[in-house]
Amino acid sequence: MSEITIAARNAKGEVTVSRAPYFPRKKKTITGRSIAVLVFLALCALFFCIPLYVVVVTSFKTMDQIREGAMFSLPYVWTLEAWDHAWNSACSGINCNGLKVGFWSSVSILIPSLILSIGISMITGYALALWNVRWAGAFLFILFICAFVPFQIIMFPLISMTAALKVYGSIWGVALVHAVLAMPVLTLIFRNYYKDIPQEIMSAAVMDSGSFWRIFTEIILPMSGNILIVVLIMQITSIWNDYLIGVTFGGPGSQPMTVNLANLITISTGVTRYNDNMAAALLTAIPPLVIYFFVGKLFVQGITAGAIKG
Amino acid sequence: MALRWSRWSPQLALVPAIAVTLVAFVGGIIWTVYLSLTRSRRIPEYTIDWSDWFRQYDRLFRDDAWAISLQNLIILGIGSALAIVFGFVLAAMIDRERRGESFFRTVFLYPLAISLIVTGAAWRWIFNPEYGVEPFLHSLGLTWVNASWLSSGETAMWAIILASVWQSSGFYMALMLAGLKSINSEIWSAARLDGVSLWKLYTQIIIPMMKFTFVTCAILLSLGVIKAYDVVVAMTNGGPGQSTYVPAFFTIQAMTGRGNLGFASAAAVMMLVITAIVFLPLVLLTAWQQRRSARIAK
Repeated sequence: MSEITIAARNAKGEVTVSRAPYFPRKKKTITGRSIAVLVFLALCALFFCIPLYVVVVTSFKTMDQIREGAMFSLPYVWTLEAWDHAWNSACSGINCNGLKVGFWSSVSILIPSLILSIGISMITGYALALWNVRWAGAFLFILFICAFVPFQIIMFPLISMTAALKVYGSIWGVALVHAVLAMPVLTLIFRNYYKDIPQEIMSAAVMDSGSFWRIFTEIILPMSGNILIVVLIMQITSIWNDYLIGVTFGGPGSQPMTVNLANLITISTGVTRYNDNMAAALLTAIPPLVIYFFVGKLFVQGITAGAIKG
Repeated sequence: MALRWSRWSPQLALVPAIAVTLVAFVGGIIWTVYLSLTRSRRIPEYTIDWSDWFRQYDRLFRDDAWAISLQNLIILGIGSALAIVFGFVLAAMIDRERRGESFFRTVFLYPLAISLIVTGAAWRWIFNPEYGVEPFLHSLGLTWVNASWLSSGETAMWAIILASVWQSSGFYMALMLAGLKSINSEIWSAARLDGVSLWKLYTQIIIPMMKFTFVTCAILLSLGVIKAYDVVVAMTNGGPGQSTYVPAFFTIQAMTGRGNLGFASAAAVMMLVITAIVFLPLVLLTAWQQRRSARIAK
């Protein structure tokens, strides 16, 4: 009886409303399961965070503390010594100028390859989606296949071609290869986005004596804001995180940060300074992580679009 | 629909992309296939001895490291499949328990944002035999635990699998979550009314409904496994010995380490063949899906 009493007068005569627990038993079982699920998810989250935690605490420790062996303990003294060392004087091969060299190489690889790859694929996607071009279907199919081709099958030809263009071993070589390899997937993404633009808009634009390029700059480009940001984020992270293309096409001084990091952690001569290694790993991971934590939703859209549509 | 105005501009706009496709991709593949038939060593040679054109492939199939690579490819594929299972479990739980959805998504997906070299560096450090997780567990009294997986050829692949699963589970979770959200919500209440058990609901209704998502995940996983290179470099560099060679690593090792172009090309062609075998179902699936959606549209 008391359970279905919703309102009751208290001593002062005010009406107090208590929520009526109509199905108390059922609700209880659901919360029990919810707790179990949440605990499980929290444990999984813990598992996902462990490597990050270990890397972060190690990067702030001194080598003396690391040698004590307690991996999960917090640093006695939080020191930036390892970070400074990783940035300014860590060795990659014979150069001991730290990761800052690789950082700036990565940045200077990133910009031209973004412009090249997005520029070409945007225009190609636009032409394929909205204009009547010959063999569009066949070309799309070939692009679809190219998006999945393993890099190794065209590795040597690309080395020869970049060498012939005299860009092998330079920033431009790496940027060019990134642009070439990203072109098929990006074209498919842009084409899939543009094909949903209503045909009426296009017809009206053409009637208005709009040429191919004018329609692109005045109508299509202003409409592409969303997809452009998604693609931009996807490309920035994938180019930043790339190792294989950087190590293959970059020469000394033009290798990206990931290559410096790989050299640092795989080197086996001398005493390994683990705190430097971890600081270097974090320095490499910070730019994409910052992007991820600020615009995570767009990042996820990008990778799923790249995976499925590609 | 035909737009006949400015007929040449769209065709001209396609020229760069077509040139890149024909030269870099189609031309590149033909070039590598051709090289795999020659006796090229460090410098490419372009004469084919037709009586012995199979030479490089023959050497490849007799090569122990290639056999290890293929074996590891299968181990890595099966092991990484855990990421799909794990991803599905996480997605199902997040989907049912809406509380904390964005928090858990963020945590499970962040490994995807970082380079595999960084992932490898982190896990390499965790598996460090001197200062890593093993001495930590030993200091807790669990002295029977052997956690220095990277120092033995038998367990090094397990460490690579663990790192790959850690890296990619979030990705499959995101795909699965998208699949789960597209399922009609009435199914849940209908199942509850019928008193279907949760296990039955998932195994007999939900998972069959999501088979397209599962197949997509499986194909993406296989393609990812074939391409696996960075994580091997960062964690083991192929070692100990050659125990963690995978085809992608083997091919690049043959080209840059051994300096044997013909041989490396043969390995690259085999990689392409493996990709094609995995890829064929995807093409069929896409065709099937398009036909189905066309039928629904009618």
